[in-house]
Amino acid sequence: MSKEVVLDCLGEACPIPLVKSEKAIEKMAVGDVLVVQVDHSCAMKNVPEWARKQGYEVEVEEVDDGEWEIIIEKTK
Amino acid sequence: MDREKIVEKYDVVIIGGGASGLTAGIYCGRARLNTLVLEESLVGGIATNTWEIENYPGFPESISGTGLMNLFYQQAKKFGVKFKLTNVKNVDFSGDVKIVETFRNRYEAKAVIICNGSKPRLTNAENEQQYIGKGIAFCATCDAASCTGEEVLVIGSGDAAIEEGMFLTKFASKVKVSIIHDEGIMDCNAIAKSAALANPKMEFLHNTVVERFEGGEEMNRVILKNLKTGALVPVDCFRCFLFIGYIPNTSLYKGIIDMSGKGYILTNENMETNVHGVFAAGDVREKFLRQVATCVGDAATAGVMAEKYIAESEIFENIIMNGNGIAYIYDASDAEHREFLEEIEKLEAEYDEYCCHKVDTYKSQGLAKRLCKTGHCPSVVIIKNGKIVKVIDEEHLSKKNIEENL
Repeated sequence: MSKEVVLDCLGEACPIPLVKSEKAIEKMAVGDVLVVQVDHSCAMKNVPEWARKQGYEVEVEEVDDGEWEIIIEKTK
Repeated sequence: MDREKIVEKYDVVIIGGGASGLTAGIYCGRARLNTLVLEESLVGGIATNTWEIENYPGFPESISGTGLMNLFYQQAKKFGVKFKLTNVKNVDFSGDVKIVETFRNRYEAKAVIICNGSKPRLTNAENEQQYIGKGIAFCATCDAASCTGEEVLVIGSGDAAIEEGMFLTKFASKVKVSIIHDEGIMDCNAIAKSAALANPKMEFLHNTVVERFEGGEEMNRVILKNLKTGALVPVDCFRCFLFIGYIPNTSLYKGIIDMSGKGYILTNENMETNVHGVFAAGDVREKFLRQVATCVGDAATAGVMAEKYIAESEIFENIIMNGNGIAYIYDASDAEHREFLEEIEKLEAEYDEYCCHKVDTYKSQGLAKRLCKTGHCPSVVIIKNGKIVKVIDEEHLSKKNIEENL
């Protein structure tokens, strides 16, 4: 059964959310989902960009004004 | 690895978050429809590739493409439209409930508006991605004024390339055109070709393709390659316009939605596609002019039509197809049609067990088309236990004939 990991990066500026996401996904299995919570607009761009380049599935949702959840599925 | 997809229900799902998707969102949100916009990357779409939009009404001082799209976005959010930034994997429009799937969700909607737009074909030359929107442009109508007194380069020789190139000569000091073909050959129409050849501001670089883009923060030089000699030809320019065609983002809908030969979606003037409840708006449609202004018009229509479609679906399912009924399809602007209304009213009084529905086609054909395929009026459709049992056409329309079928 695949699992979902939530990574709280609220209040953290670039490139910390990206670095943390890279580290977190390394430990995850294929099929697992990483949910990165960010509130810096630059992370809302560079984290999905990185994840797409890796070939992962990505969804970004603005959960509150200026607060996003980046949902990444490790596909390989 | 296939996980259970999370099901979410919406009134309207809009696919694409550019000028059209955002406008459709504004209209649907304002109509209090529960609306979701799905955008693959960032909201704003292709308009964000433009530095300055000078021909969108309401902004006499001009505005950046990104700035304008952010305003559209704010406005849509104000009306409660929900946004998710992810790409659509699959659609199923075969049922009354329209299904749109992402890797994570299965969205069920009453109506769908396709606003996927189109993307300019790229040269795939070196450094291209880096300079898109920073020297590489795709729209002369949008960016010509910023090129006043400057030298620019146009890539391509089709109608768009040559016509837009000529338009650019009104602003730029020089317009060089890189053409892949031999001297004398252009892909554009003959009139454009002779006008271009006679234009003293235009210069043609035949047998060339783009090798690489160069510059600092912004692009300022394009290295062309001569296909015959292999020589590299540096061209200093303020902007490089790519007019080597557009590709509509419609592969998702192949075999489902009717398209033109080039893959643009065919709609009628109400933005309806061949599938009931699925609309298309903006650059993704087969049409003449693709601008923010034309997207806005399309999307306003699509938004209102989607709202109407949903309202009609509810009337159809919950009122008309509920129990026994006599539906009179007519045109309220026609005197003869109005006359027959009296007969219908008599029937209504005489037959308690039947509910009479007067379906006026003057403003919308939607309900009429659901009741009988042609939607022809006047006609009467008889419903028993929620099922259509008889359609009486104009020729056979009489009170007696209706009564015989009750």
